[in-house]
Amino acid sequence: MLTRLIKYELKATGRVLLPLYAVLLVFAAVSKLIFSFSDNSFSVPEAISIMIYIMILIGMFVMTFVVMIQRFYKNLLSDEGYLMFTLPTMTWKHITSKLLVSTIWNIGSFLAAILSIIILAFDEIFFTDFLPDLFRSLSEFFSIFGLNSGLFILEFILAGIICMVSGILIIYASIALGHLFSQHRVLASLGAFLALSTVSQILFFCVTSLPGLDFLSEYIDSLDSLQASAFMFHWVMWFIIIFFGLLSAGYFFITNHILNKRLNLE
Amino acid sequence: MTPILECNGLTKAFGHKKALSDVNLKIDHGQIVGLLGPNGSGKTTLIKLANALLTPSAGEIRISGMTPGLSTKKIISYLPERNYLNDWMRVHDIIGLFSDFYEDFKPEKAYDMLKRLDISASDRLKTLSKGTKEKVQLVLVMSREAELYLLDEPIGGVDPAARDYILETIISNYNPEATVIISTHLISDIEKVLDYVVFINEGRVVLSSSVDDIREQGKSVDGLFREVFRC
Amino acid sequence: MPWDLKPDRPIYTQLVEHIELMILSGVYPPGSKLPSVRDLAKEASVNPNTMQRALSKLEEDGLVITHRTSGRSITEDSEMIKKAKTRIAREQVLEFLEKMQKLGFDQKEILSIITGMIEEVRG
Repeated sequence: MLTRLIKYELKATGRVLLPLYAVLLVFAAVSKLIFSFSDNSFSVPEAISIMIYIMILIGMFVMTFVVMIQRFYKNLLSDEGYLMFTLPTMTWKHITSKLLVSTIWNIGSFLAAILSIIILAFDEIFFTDFLPDLFRSLSEFFSIFGLNSGLFILEFILAGIICMVSGILIIYASIALGHLFSQHRVLASLGAFLALSTVSQILFFCVTSLPGLDFLSEYIDSLDSLQASAFMFHWVMWFIIIFFGLLSAGYFFITNHILNKRLNLE
Repeated sequence: MTPILECNGLTKAFGHKKALSDVNLKIDHGQIVGLLGPNGSGKTTLIKLANALLTPSAGEIRISGMTPGLSTKKIISYLPERNYLNDWMRVHDIIGLFSDFYEDFKPEKAYDMLKRLDISASDRLKTLSKGTKEKVQLVLVMSREAELYLLDEPIGGVDPAARDYILETIISNYNPEATVIISTHLISDIEKVLDYVVFINEGRVVLSSSVDDIREQGKSVDGLFREVFRC
Repeated sequence: MPWDLKPDRPIYTQLVEHIELMILSGVYPPGSKLPSVRDLAKEASVNPNTMQRALSKLEEDGLVITHRTSGRSITEDSEMIKKAKTRIAREQVLEFLEKMQKLGFDQKEILSIITGMIEEVRG
């Protein structure tokens, strides 16, 4: 069931977002072409194409965000909800499929942006200067930290994804909380979002001010600078992963509970 | 045999307002039942409760002995009053969706009915008229071999020819193992098709009887309804 | 023959009468096969359960026979058919006579009206 839901999610959202990514990349290529025809002075066609490119880039990020919200609301909490919630599947699968697909498009838009920048900036310098520099920095990084470096990268990616997931889930939870109200649902959702963000920030401060953290700084002082920075990095990464992981679980639970027990379609 | 639908003391309140109060009902397999009442009487609330789209405030509702949930959704085919078709799919896409999620869905039957209604499988749902969308929804619902069909106001905003088609579909789809519950306030049109009727008003069951018993008394169900619900 | 079902009498009784009429007037000749319950129900726009009961009643009355494998057919027993025709005729006459009595006609007047009408209809 989950895979089928994911399939339909991708179909419904991809038809809007994939063309947008394509437009971004194509336009980056077109801009590149325009640049190659002019001399190195800053001329009008170049200025215009850069502006349009930036607009498309921003538009792409905005659309990814809008599609994520609109898809959740429209498909589950408007008339389409009559179809979705009578399908023989569990509510958590609906939430998870949308979460997964939103994550995919968030990462996708990020990758598309990078790709478009590479296309724009693509010339010999890329191969003669940029890539060698990149490789040099990376090999320095690996040689300093050894095995740890692989771990760092993994933890960094994991932390990034968990933060993204928690960002998506707080929005879903806000929409679900807004649904509890019979009027002014949009306002209620915004209010819920503010409330949830505030609560999570308070929680963050509470946890980071725990007295037990003092012994940590003592331990760090006892290490040499390399070990210390490695330790700090791991510690911070795992703190982020666990903290935002728990937050995500909380938001998921709220959303699931509301859609299961307090659903009230018009 | 377990009744296909059973309500015991079923109550649903929204804030202070009680949409359903202490409803007790037992409906068997193989019946075509009319859930009859004026607008706002609680018919839709009852149907939503059966579909697990709402949870009871008190009492219980059981489908084939089970609490509404995953297993009951598999055996219920629901036609809501609303149009739940999305606008980006084509007709064959939504048929694909139903095939994907419902084991008892028969796509050949659906295509057959669509052909008779002159609806093309490649039409975009977005471009269909309101009446046509309703027909597509009906086709989807009736192409399932469910144990319980819940039709919420299926003939409400529909022209007389379509009304006849809907009734014809319900009759020809009839399966002695399955039950069809039709909720409506337009009674004279569907009376002939009903085995059993339940009158509901202001959240309470006012009357439940077989159609024959009512007619033995020399009244039509429509006539009795007007009597009972006289303003 | 259109199925003209009145709203204030039990449907199943009306179905029995209607099918009886079709049999006796030759629309369903003796020995002919009856459509399936579902098809008949669709034609009449009624619940198949109700149609089923009507057919069972007709079977009880001997006008319809169920074959295990090939559905239902009309009886070939002409005695049965004649009996049913007579029964219906008597019912019609009884209804008529009761109404005439209510209107206050006596036997002689009733007979003369009848013979007069028969002449009219024939001519």
